[in-house]
Amino acid sequence: MKVFPYIKAVSQISIQEPLTDVWMESPHWYDANFVRSIDPDFKPFVPAAQGRRMGKLLKRALTTSLSVIRESGIACPDAIMMGTGLGCIESTERFLESLCRDGEQLLKPTHFMQSTHNTVASLIGIQTGNTGYNITYSHKGISVDCALHDALVQFKLGMIGSALVGGNDEVSPSYFTLLKKIGFVGQDSEVCGEASVAMMLSNEQENALCQVKGVKVLYRPDVCRLQSALSQMLSEADTSLGGIDAVMTGISGNRLNDKYYYDLLPELLPGVPVLHYKHIFGESYSASGLGVYATVRCLQHGFIPQSLVLEQPTCSVPAPNRILLLNIADGKDYSFILLEKICGK
Amino acid sequence: MSEPILISGAGIVSAIGVGKEPTLKSLLSQSSGIGDVKYLQTAHDEFPVGEVKLSDGEMMSMLGLPQDSTQIRTSLMGMIALKEALQEAGINSDLIGSTGFISGTTVGGMDKSEQYYLDFLDNDRHNEYIATHDCGACTEMIADHFGRFAWLSTISTACSSAANAIVAAANLIKAGEADIVVAGGCECLSKFHLNGFNSLMILDTAPCRPFDATRRGLNLGEGAAYMVLESAASVKRRGIVPLASLWGYGNACDAFHQTASSPDGTGAYKAMAKALEMGGVVPSGIDYINAHGTGTENNDLSESQAIIRLFGDCVPPISSTKSFTGHTTSASGAIEAVICILALQHQFLPVNLNWKEPMENGIKPVTDMKSPRPINMALCNSFGFGGNDTSLLLSRV
Repeated sequence: MKVFPYIKAVSQISIQEPLTDVWMESPHWYDANFVRSIDPDFKPFVPAAQGRRMGKLLKRALTTSLSVIRESGIACPDAIMMGTGLGCIESTERFLESLCRDGEQLLKPTHFMQSTHNTVASLIGIQTGNTGYNITYSHKGISVDCALHDALVQFKLGMIGSALVGGNDEVSPSYFTLLKKIGFVGQDSEVCGEASVAMMLSNEQENALCQVKGVKVLYRPDVCRLQSALSQMLSEADTSLGGIDAVMTGISGNRLNDKYYYDLLPELLPGVPVLHYKHIFGESYSASGLGVYATVRCLQHGFIPQSLVLEQPTCSVPAPNRILLLNIADGKDYSFILLEKICGK
Repeated sequence: MSEPILISGAGIVSAIGVGKEPTLKSLLSQSSGIGDVKYLQTAHDEFPVGEVKLSDGEMMSMLGLPQDSTQIRTSLMGMIALKEALQEAGINSDLIGSTGFISGTTVGGMDKSEQYYLDFLDNDRHNEYIATHDCGACTEMIADHFGRFAWLSTISTACSSAANAIVAAANLIKAGEADIVVAGGCECLSKFHLNGFNSLMILDTAPCRPFDATRRGLNLGEGAAYMVLESAASVKRRGIVPLASLWGYGNACDAFHQTASSPDGTGAYKAMAKALEMGGVVPSGIDYINAHGTGTENNDLSESQAIIRLFGDCVPPISSTKSFTGHTTSASGAIEAVICILALQHQFLPVNLNWKEPMENGIKPVTDMKSPRPINMALCNSFGFGGNDTSLLLSRV
């Protein structure tokens, strides 16, 4: 039986205005290689006393998660599935730096306790009293994609009826410097940002924003494998290449990585309008989650802001029915995510 | 109950041996691998550890890698374990192209990061290790040694990471997304987490004594283990004799505390109950439990409560093999699952070393290898920070 979950709510904290969609009308533009997230007022989501003991990433994660929990009315989803490339890297760095500079005698547990990658997913479980399935994927730029894939599989198997899926990555100034040194972020015109995204998935269509019709993850694929994986996914979703109205790519301004997209797109998706979002939301290990968020909004509102269209002005995309997300991380890890608008909307 | 997933190959590396044969020998001769620290460069030599008895260089030689290659210890151990699993299951380079790989780790490349972090910041002497820091990089390094897997992913849920990788792999096979997925985990010792666990005051300066009244904490260990999970149809098609089957599994969140377990073991109870329910097995049908049993005050009491609540009057033989290997953190779920497979194949109960005095309100672990009855079903518990609790139900074939 085919069961494709619906997305009931999405929320983001990023380098755009947090917890709103104003970026669709008037995005912030940055002329810098590194920008940190714009934090909202955490008070409605994080009790002040607890907030003092939490790092920024935890506060952001709790805020986006609670915001989709409240919006969807699903207080206790069957699963919490998170992605993060680096986990709570600020806490990790503080423990690491203290270890390296001051030796092994004076270390305090706080930063160690918050340095584990699943601190975020656990915190949400603890704060909302959720004892369901709880997982954290940490695989570079496809971490969120893997979490979403896990969700889809469990919906398909009937193991869950709802899931909180998200991604969280922070980047400290020092870690940005390190990542820039190895060419991962901040190259050429690329903006390195931070990302906290949450989405609520459910098998109930009521008030849904869109539907997830497929997720595929691939490693070092050639064009042939990409084509067959895509056509299989499209056929499972009862559609075909012609049914894709646009492809949302992770083109970021990093020439080395962007080349993979530019080389692949004409062969894989000829004539399909190309969109991008990382020039608005920045690059980070969880950025693909922001791509999903932006795509959900396009399908929900039935229009694609001109700022997302890469190839201007040749194509204007009318109300899209189906958008494919193509994520290429480091030229090695690839993913497809297929989102579809709600029928009759 | 859905069709069980078959296990067509397994590989293991830990303090008690490199490979299944030496591991079995150590379990049967009741020889612990825990001892004085030798390979990890730490000031804390007061804590016994379960180290893999090989230097990085020796592992590189075993794997045919050049001595100057950019490697992290976690990946090296992972490659050795994965090699054994793939060979046993007959996964050749052609088959790898349609095989998925899910690895669990948390430490990843921290061994090199803690060695070179100040170099990363202050000069450019060891920048190649910046890119090997994260968990995903560790998985890719292991995978790339064998060819081109169809897809990879990495799970990081602290000490239940490897068990969760096995769960995710099984779900993918059941959903028809793959025929063969290799899953497990790997973790080397690092100063980072040795000091972290020390700051939480849960390390014992003596060999750990899980479920003993005098237990004072855990000993850290390291290692890797992977198993080849495969659909019944694929096993039949390939003509492979499976080692065991994964009959059920469950994951639950304790939802209590980031680094402590709830007093009644809510998450542990739910994880075990889910595994039994999926497998369609009643508590009295379980012949052996490989406990998480870290040897900390908190875990062993909490886990005992959960087991007593679920099994009531029919608590099966239980042991914590962390008394052999130390707590291999992210790898422990897979290492202990492979130990369960050995127990099922060779019909013995791995004992709980160093146990003398019963703890109050606790379970009494196994000290005799002889099982009162055939061992057909084994439950394997792995609990991680954040109350991430996973239980795997393994069955003899």
